[in-house]
Amino acid sequence: MALKVHMADYGVGNLHSIRKALENCGAKVEVVTDMRGLLEAECIVLPGVGAFDKTLERLQPVREQLVDMLRSGTPCLGICIGMQILFEGSEEGKEPGLGFLSGRVVRLKAERVPHMGWNSVQSNDRLMRGVQSPYFYFAHSFHGSPREDVVVGTTDYFGRVPTLFKKSNTYGTQFHPEKSSASGMTFLRNFVRFAEEER
Amino acid sequence: MLAKRIIPCLDVKEGKVVKGVKFLNLQDVGDPPALASEYERQGADEIVFLDITASAESRKTMLHVVERTAERLFVPLTVGGGIRTREEMRNALNAGADKVSLNTVAVQQPHIISECAEDFGSQCVVVAIDAKRDGDSWRVYTHGGRKATDLDAVKWATRAQELGAGEILLTSMDADGTKDGYDIELTSSVADAVTIPVIASGGCGNLEHIYEVLSRTKAEAALAASIFHYGQHTVQEAKDYLRQRGVPVR
Repeated sequence: MALKVHMADYGVGNLHSIRKALENCGAKVEVVTDMRGLLEAECIVLPGVGAFDKTLERLQPVREQLVDMLRSGTPCLGICIGMQILFEGSEEGKEPGLGFLSGRVVRLKAERVPHMGWNSVQSNDRLMRGVQSPYFYFAHSFHGSPREDVVVGTTDYFGRVPTLFKKSNTYGTQFHPEKSSASGMTFLRNFVRFAEEER
Repeated sequence: MLAKRIIPCLDVKEGKVVKGVKFLNLQDVGDPPALASEYERQGADEIVFLDITASAESRKTMLHVVERTAERLFVPLTVGGGIRTREEMRNALNAGADKVSLNTVAVQQPHIISECAEDFGSQCVVVAIDAKRDGDSWRVYTHGGRKATDLDAVKWATRAQELGAGEILLTSMDADGTKDGYDIELTSSVADAVTIPVIASGGCGNLEHIYEVLSRTKAEAALAASIFHYGQHTVQEAKDYLRQRGVPVR
């Protein structure tokens, strides 16, 4: 059976590209506006649109159950803000994060912020297999700074920035695979395969 | 290393691309989603749609265009032209835009920049500035370049950044349409004054112009229209040209 992905809709932002990209990779996608819908998922995608506090507000009713699911191994992909909310908190907002990843989200220390555009990701993770060009699309002012060993990919931008995370069966990307053309599509196809094996 | 971006811009009117774009391999030459996909295939880093119609009805048409585009475009899409409220920005983002550019409304009600940045994140708020040389500095124009303001372009760019803009799309009205090259002095002045990314626009007539603006100024991206639309060059050719000259590109 095709993988079924439950994708959170926080009420704002472009979800068309990520939905279509996942469908192109063979997944069935259900967009969830009531976050309780995530609790039945075999695979969760937390998309990368919006601001830290507003996103957490939407996830508030299910935050504990959601973290339990991730801890027990439900495959999940958090993109950009969808990854950042997995940390304990952020310099961008006041709300406590989900705390699935230990550490905080901090402001980029760079001459030009946001870090906007295409930059290369150094990673040997299985999700990078077959990726032709290491360039992925970024658009962010903050990045995750973990206190545990979860970094599986980094990017050079005025220093080394952690940009790909993995813990349990959850992946977090600082880049936007759904906006990263052919490289992003290969990455997402690899994620769908991974989730099919681990569901 | 962060790559410099090449951004084709399409003028859209009532759902169709206006400046006749010529690609031999495309049937419906006026269809924005098809053209955007073709540019992605060529290696475009981002696409800009500029809505050049004004009516409310055509704005709805534009949202449908954006929706159809987002389902097949896997590079970022910026939508600009006539967006005046937070609600209209939300609609554009929900339809499938990754960023929205604000121009006239940002000058008239600067607080909208902060409100949009707070709601949607700075990274999707682009402030578009149309600037024209006036003595030793550059004056900001609104309403598609028809109305002069009292604002100095460099100061306005700095202010927009303080208010929460994530990027500046800077068009030189003096250079626009000349094909004589980007306005290096204007682009330098703005890109040196702000710490958010600047997209240079206006005046591109050949690949040397793109190289010039990306190597001589701190602009992170170059926007161009006609050199790509009329098949003079592909985006890939532009990338190859830049790469050979040491400019980091994807």
